[in-house]
Amino acid sequence: MEKVIIIRYAEIHLKGKNRGYFERVFGVNLEKALKGLRHELRRTSGRYLVTAFREEDAEELCARIARVFGVHSYSVGVRVPNDLESIAAAAMSVSPQSGTFKVDTHRADKRYPMTSPELNAEVGARLLASFPALKVDVRAPQHTVFLDIREDGSALVFGMFCEGAGGMPVGTSSKGLLLISGGIDSPVAGYMMAKRGMEVKYLHFHSYPYTNEQARDKVIVLARILSRYTGGDTVATVKVTHIQEEIHKKCAAELNVTLLRRFMFRIAERVAARQGAKCLITGESLGQVASQTMEGITSSNAVVRLPVLRPLIGFDKEEIVARAKKIGTYETSVLPYEDCCTVFLPEFPAIKPKLSYIEEEEKKLDVEALVAEALGTMEEFPLR
Amino acid sequence: MIYLDNAATTRPSDGALVHARQYLSECYFNPSAGYHGGAEAARLLNKARAYLTECIADPAQFSLIFTSCGSEADNQAIFSTARRGNAVTTSGEHAAVFESFRELKNRGVEPRFAPVRADGSVDAEALLQMVDEKTSLVSVIHVNNETGAVNDIVSIARRVKEKNPRTVFMSDGVQAFGKIGVRLSKDIDLYCISAHKIGGLKGTGALVRRKGCAALLPRIYGGGQEGGLRSGTENVFGIACFYYAAQEKFASLEADAARLKGYRERLWEALDKELFVRISPADGSAYILTVSARGRRGEALQRMLWDAGVAVGTGSACNSKKPHSRVLQACGYPADVLDGVLRVSFCSSNTREEVLQAAKLMNEAVRRFGG
Repeated sequence: MEKVIIIRYAEIHLKGKNRGYFERVFGVNLEKALKGLRHELRRTSGRYLVTAFREEDAEELCARIARVFGVHSYSVGVRVPNDLESIAAAAMSVSPQSGTFKVDTHRADKRYPMTSPELNAEVGARLLASFPALKVDVRAPQHTVFLDIREDGSALVFGMFCEGAGGMPVGTSSKGLLLISGGIDSPVAGYMMAKRGMEVKYLHFHSYPYTNEQARDKVIVLARILSRYTGGDTVATVKVTHIQEEIHKKCAAELNVTLLRRFMFRIAERVAARQGAKCLITGESLGQVASQTMEGITSSNAVVRLPVLRPLIGFDKEEIVARAKKIGTYETSVLPYEDCCTVFLPEFPAIKPKLSYIEEEEKKLDVEALVAEALGTMEEFPLR
Repeated sequence: MIYLDNAATTRPSDGALVHARQYLSECYFNPSAGYHGGAEAARLLNKARAYLTECIADPAQFSLIFTSCGSEADNQAIFSTARRGNAVTTSGEHAAVFESFRELKNRGVEPRFAPVRADGSVDAEALLQMVDEKTSLVSVIHVNNETGAVNDIVSIARRVKEKNPRTVFMSDGVQAFGKIGVRLSKDIDLYCISAHKIGGLKGTGALVRRKGCAALLPRIYGGGQEGGLRSGTENVFGIACFYYAAQEKFASLEADAARLKGYRERLWEALDKELFVRISPADGSAYILTVSARGRRGEALQRMLWDAGVAVGTGSACNSKKPHSRVLQACGYPADVLDGVLRVSFCSSNTREEVLQAAKLMNEAVRRFGG
């Protein structure tokens, strides 16, 4: 009897001719996630099996598997030869000892001498005989013992389906650059894109010395948490202090944030080109703050060619918070460091600035030189 | 690096480290051990205890227990003595006292906070008004750690005792010990000090106690060290550093204070008055000059100065929920002054050149602020 973790994948099987590619990427991602824990991973038809692991690592293995996009569900169970005695013994090992239950057989091997109902009945009877406190309930059982008769002469026996992260394997939907601030929203935005298979790179803007090093360290911590889902091994940072100072000195105060965001997008587009990212990702949610209005979005989009993905655009704050908690970034996001850069915030930011007005104000700045200078401050910090 | 954040912590004294080193590498024994090595370590503790006590008080009248820090000494003093009625302190206290007083409320003791004047010193009349027959404890910080203002604790203690002789009087002396001269009078019951503000190490503090004052309660139970008042194996090396560092400080206390007062005033003269307002009083501690660059953010200035090669303190840590110093707020300053607070604090090894260079860099940083 061999302990196994059975991993089932979600949408990959829909991908027709690309299926092989998706499965390969998925396999690589699983290997990456499980790295450092002893195990063997192999693909059988329509599933991955983790074997040869230490019993005490099972929980950690499951936690990591649960974070890999593309995993539909997983189960911890045992793998045995497909003779009835072995299957029954395995069922005994995963079965509850009391409460209501049923046995549910799936036969991939259609040549197997017993039919599914026959196996259900036979194994069920043996369990009842061994555990007198058990009762059968085929409609709404508290527990189910699953038997999966494979085509290679083995059977997988397990007691529970655990939900996976769903989505698509990271890396199968191109690459995007996430503008990560240290707040609650941007990590969630990165998570959402990774869920659809996008490999996420990170870019953080800071205004040292107006913001502090702790704020940057916090972003690195956030990216580290996030990278368990999204891949990626560095955070790039760019200093925009001089840009802010120039805007502050020369342009209308109400446009401070609007103009700064245009610079951030321009810089991000160039960083994306360096890193091979095909789009920008932001945590904007429509109307959440003054810069996240349709006019604000229009103004930012006007300076870049790359598509800007805003997966949270229709989300309420509570929805975003709930997701951040689930992902595990919330507690770090709310640590009090982010709002250090209040010096340049206008009292009344423009909520619906006209593009023509913005462009007029921006002419007071040497945009190209400022962007180039900021890019010169780029640093990369490892996540591991 | 010109280091002018000595009120936060001082660089450990090289001399103290050299002298104390034997208690790290050779005489590392447990002072409670019954053999010769243990007795050696215990002798050091007693020597340090006697010396540190006699620096500020009559050893016949006062005793000293070692703690892990000034905050621990403050906590032990407060929770041992404020056990009923009310307890009075100032709005200018260090958090170790202020937060402990706020906690008293949960323990059924009414905390009372006396107002402070613009320089951070307590309004003694208002404080005395708050003392009544139910006051179990009065705590007044000796040197305000944010402004350097000095409270006349000897006189305040006398007047408190005149009003209610049963009231315990304590003072947080962390920024005073080794920096300004004081003799604890019979009216002062408890006095808290710390090593790392005078060239000792973090992790060493002490509580000085008048013999015969209200009983102290232990915060940590265990092996019964420090007369049962502070269990846990003694930090022999830290205490040795404290001892040797204090010897250096007290050898030149008056001379250092006079010289640093000169530097403090030179620094203030060299600062551009268009940019800075002064918060520290002229008659305060020679070791602290607190100023504000109105309307700028002290925290950002602090980092600009660090990059320019000088370390100074601010009025607060950056925290979006608590952007301003509680103490300076209590002093009555408006928001734009509170924003720009910088605390420059000296140690005896600072030089005139360092101080003037710091003033120049401070002026430059403020001018550069905002681009």
